[in-house]
Amino acid sequence: MSIWNYVVTAHKPTNVTHSCVGNFTSPQDLNLIIAKCTRIEIHLLSPQGLQPMLDVPIYGRIATLELFRPHGETQDYLFIATERYKFCVLQWDSETSELVTRAMGDVSDRIGRPTDNGQIGIIDPDCRLIGLHLYDGLFKVIPFDNKGQLKEAFNIRLEELQVLDIKFLYGCSKPTIVVLYQDNKDARHVKTYEVALKDKDFVEGPWSQNNLDNGADLLIPVPPPLCGVLIIGEETIVYCSANAFKAIPFGPSITKAYGRVDPDGSRYLLGDHTGLLSLLVITHEKEKVTGLKTEPLGETSIASTISYLDNAFVYIGSSYGDSQLIKLNLQPDAKGSYVEVLERYVNLGPIVDFCVVDLERQGQGQVVTCSGAYKDGSLRVVRNGIGINEQASVELQGIKGMWSLRSSTDDPFDTFLVVSFISETRILAMNLEDELEETEIEGFCSQVQTLFCHDAVHNQLVQVTSNSVRLVSSTTRELRNEWFAPSGYSVNVATANATQVLLATGGGHLVYLEIGDGILQEVKHAQLEYEISCLDINPIGENPNHSQLAAVGMWTDISVRIFSLPDLNLVTKEQLGGEIIPRSVLLCAFEGISYLLCALGDGHLLNFMLNTSTGELTDRKKVSLGTQPITLRTFSSKNTTHVFAASDRPTVIYSSNKKLLYSNVNLKEVSHMCPFNSAAFPDSLAIAKEGELTIGTIDDIQKLHIRSIPLGEHARRICHQEHSRTFAICSLKYNPTSGEDSEMHFVRLLDDQTFEFISTYSLDTYEYGCFIISCSFSDDNNVYYCVGTAYVLPEENEPTKGRILVFTVEDGKLQLIAEKETKGAVYCLNAFNGKLLAAINQKIQLYKWVLRDDGTHELQSECGHHGHILALYVQTRGDFIVVGDLMKSISLLIYKHEEGAIEERARDYNANWMSAVEILDDDIYLGAENNFNLFTVRKNSEGATDEERGRLEVVGEYHLGEFINRFRHGSLVMRLPDSDVGQIPTVIFGTINGVIGVIASLPHEQYVFLEKLQSNLRKVIKGVGGLSHEQWRSFNNEKKTVEARNFLDGDLIESFLDLNRSKMDEISKAMDVSVEELCKRVEELTRLH
Amino acid sequence: MLMDAPNPSSSAASSFLANLPSRGHFSSTIVLSNPVGMRAYVCDHDTSPPEGQHIKTNQQNILIRSLTLKKQRGDSSSKDGSDGSRKRNAEKVLERSSAKKTNNQINSRQEGSNSQTATRDFHNLTVERLRALLKAKGLSTKGKKEELITRLKDATG
Repeated sequence: MSIWNYVVTAHKPTNVTHSCVGNFTSPQDLNLIIAKCTRIEIHLLSPQGLQPMLDVPIYGRIATLELFRPHGETQDYLFIATERYKFCVLQWDSETSELVTRAMGDVSDRIGRPTDNGQIGIIDPDCRLIGLHLYDGLFKVIPFDNKGQLKEAFNIRLEELQVLDIKFLYGCSKPTIVVLYQDNKDARHVKTYEVALKDKDFVEGPWSQNNLDNGADLLIPVPPPLCGVLIIGEETIVYCSANAFKAIPFGPSITKAYGRVDPDGSRYLLGDHTGLLSLLVITHEKEKVTGLKTEPLGETSIASTISYLDNAFVYIGSSYGDSQLIKLNLQPDAKGSYVEVLERYVNLGPIVDFCVVDLERQGQGQVVTCSGAYKDGSLRVVRNGIGINEQASVELQGIKGMWSLRSSTDDPFDTFLVVSFISETRILAMNLEDELEETEIEGFCSQVQTLFCHDAVHNQLVQVTSNSVRLVSSTTRELRNEWFAPSGYSVNVATANATQVLLATGGGHLVYLEIGDGILQEVKHAQLEYEISCLDINPIGENPNHSQLAAVGMWTDISVRIFSLPDLNLVTKEQLGGEIIPRSVLLCAFEGISYLLCALGDGHLLNFMLNTSTGELTDRKKVSLGTQPITLRTFSSKNTTHVFAASDRPTVIYSSNKKLLYSNVNLKEVSHMCPFNSAAFPDSLAIAKEGELTIGTIDDIQKLHIRSIPLGEHARRICHQEHSRTFAICSLKYNPTSGEDSEMHFVRLLDDQTFEFISTYSLDTYEYGCFIISCSFSDDNNVYYCVGTAYVLPEENEPTKGRILVFTVEDGKLQLIAEKETKGAVYCLNAFNGKLLAAINQKIQLYKWVLRDDGTHELQSECGHHGHILALYVQTRGDFIVVGDLMKSISLLIYKHEEGAIEERARDYNANWMSAVEILDDDIYLGAENNFNLFTVRKNSEGATDEERGRLEVVGEYHLGEFINRFRHGSLVMRLPDSDVGQIPTVIFGTINGVIGVIASLPHEQYVFLEKLQSNLRKVIKGVGGLSHEQWRSFNNEKKTVEARNFLDGDLIESFLDLNRSKMDEISKAMDVSVEELCKRVEELTRLH
Repeated sequence: MLMDAPNPSSSAASSFLANLPSRGHFSSTIVLSNPVGMRAYVCDHDTSPPEGQHIKTNQQNILIRSLTLKKQRGDSSSKDGSDGSRKRNAEKVLERSSAKKTNNQINSRQEGSNSQTATRDFHNLTVERLRALLKAKGLSTKGKKEELITRLKDATG
């Protein structure tokens, strides 16, 4: 790999952190707005449910999200503050459908200690000011003037240093905040302050309340007429206002989220840490609060945010499991739950670990993640591309073409499958037992190759062979009419639809026939100057049986031409350029837009927008699909038309939001495809590949496919063992009912096909599974699972004891073969030169696998290396060991065989707190740290002095904005060795927000090109809310902020494809590269993930 | 977990769940949501905020700011020359300043006001503030309120 890296998101963040409901997109629209860390989603509430509208990238990690309504406005504004102290106020402009920045700014202070309990951003209910608590002891105020404009912000000293929550109170003549805080004796209190905007200071508020529940953590301001505040504790709920105080016991539970149900604030939904949803009711007589009541309703995912939508529907946003749309029923179900889950929105976060496997052994990588936490823990199998679920297959060599035919024009299903070979044509049909068997259509000529077949009107079938066109009755199967090619000429290519046939013979003759009831009439003939290579008359106009246009691909001048039908007048001629002839053309329409697709002999595909009335071709784009000639064919799935491009890299072309998308099909090589929608195999495809004919159904047409395997416990580490075809995981199960310390830790074995637990090894009390690998040792042919553990005792700060356990899989059971006690937690294990390398607290330790006299094996310590704070992440390559330290960045060690010693070779002297490391190549190492940055360091073996050689030079820096837990070499897509993209090495990463990303090492020339494209895109694609892309991607930690280098933002670069044509032209001009070339190069990159 | 046993309060929950707010959404029986239809937003228009709405934080030190604000207030009120407002101002400053922060400016203003009004003022002040004043003058802060006032009067007398 190289130092020039391209970072792109394959799976966007799905961890829902905030949500709110309001009239954002218009005064009449009710919207649900969801924050997913670095993105916001806008949904529209409708009688039919939630309608997705927009997915907006934000150049920052969202810390707060609030809707508010300034005075005199009819719709809400959106306030967003980011973790890097930027904020913006957004308004939706419904005329242009754009997000308009109303205000933005930087709210950072030069000095100040960032708050421990997260940033707080709140807006006065009467819209007089925005309050922010970002640093301990400071409360920042951004006041509004009377026109709703924001004024200069200022800080106010806040005496309380350990603030847990701050909210604005309703119904106060002066803006009043209520502060929940902890004093230095760990007691919790609330206090109120009025904000005096003129004096820029606090004034002691109307009331305060001391000595609350020790677990009080959340304030809920109650709107008028009741006003006051609810204080949610772990064991009590308190209602407090200037003149009332009510308290009830509750729980014990930790309330993670709340949602207000009624506008008058008399009912609330509370979600706790176990996923229990409760209803909190304030009983009142007029404006006097008489009491509080709570009722458990049922179980949901563990909520991080709750938004009451409408009509008993509630959105549950979750960080630990899938987010949900639920309905609150008036009557409980059989289990006593009032909660009905109507929809689940997939969330991969937090991805704690993952592995890359090829379960189907097709060369297509799949990612299996440990996702979710607590009860919502699961494994997720993430696969790129569209799968074919095989229903039936037969061995057939040398297929040259395939077509499906119906037995009558009105039959909704296909009956016959015509398969053409070099010197014969065979017809398959479904028999009564729903089996595919060979049959005959008497009227067809079966001794020669068929060039084309189609259903025709009046219960007829058309067969085109090299010397004739045959019209056959589909009911009697007898020949009704035949047209013969002129003597001396043979038909080379042909196409047809229900009423028309277009064919080309040698010598550039183009012949157009029309089909009637038993009639086959030659209507027009044209002589072209060159030979014809491909044809299409797929009807895309109003009449589904008749086309107004014909597309023709030419030899010699390498052009594609559009002819009008029936008069065969040339309408448009488009030179394709280059020397590769078009092999397949197709007229098709997606989402009401007509396209001409033209596939070349070298695996490239050109697409044009086609004006059906003028025949004009515009918006030429080129993509590379594979390296072999492509055959294009339409098919439909779920009532939508898609195009299948059969080649060495089969692809489905579809359209989403009026943009053509290309998705890989998870098959190696497909020579022909035809839709085969039979009664027994509805919506199926017949696929010809390497000596085999397969009938199968196709997955949903989308890029990533995710399969969930709920575990009901929290998987923390995963690895796959090819040898035993199993997965092993380290997991823990919480048992909330039996009091404290009721975590149980396991090593579990799963079948890699069914994902069922087939064996379990329970760890000791207090023993945590920390790491698991599959490995083998020198002089031993067996493959083992090695597990590193730690005894986490409540009285110890750092574990001082752990174990390394070695298991084999015998008859689907985990068998403990050997165990070795260690003097600390085993954070990492690596197979290393036939030995086992372990990272144990501050030490790197090498163990060899020794055969004892009694024939059993044991791990024997060979050598080690001290000198880390905590060696958490270790990767090896040859004799080199790269260590990611808790706080001392990356260091490089080397194992010396002769001396049997491990020595430090070099280190990065920055103080980065690492979260993952990976070795890119011999000299370049990649690290992720806990301020959401990525960096690369390079070994300097040519340094002149020892000191130079002992220093790992930082060569790349980038702010990802995501916390990476794991890197793994591998790819989500099928790699073709001879394609450009196939040469690019990639690393996959998984993050807390559920992002799966790809880091690709680019050749220098490509990097320079894309860097230029990125800087041009920055000028055209602006950050929402005025946030700057350059600042967002700059490497940032407590000590420094430096501009990103040697990393490119693939998400920005790939959004080039979403731009409209005029903006593309703008960039093309600035880059001095054609739009077609830009599209092709960017499209290629999208195939990395 | 609370759900397993037959819940005696289930009827209560039902009654609490009655009349949930509804504005006509989710009324149709078919609830659809199609996350695939989500359009990725590409922002190709200018997103800089309107003039004057690029917000920054006042960089002035909080203490200096509050003192300046008070000074301004003091200056503006002293311009109109009325005795009463001056007194009230002086009082406010006293109220808001801790003993340590009571500076010469305040003292000089106190000294500037005539003794008659000062006496009346002292009676209006709380013991704490009197003590603060005494401390500022380096006098003993012990004793009853009357004693404190006398001591202050003697000092300013």
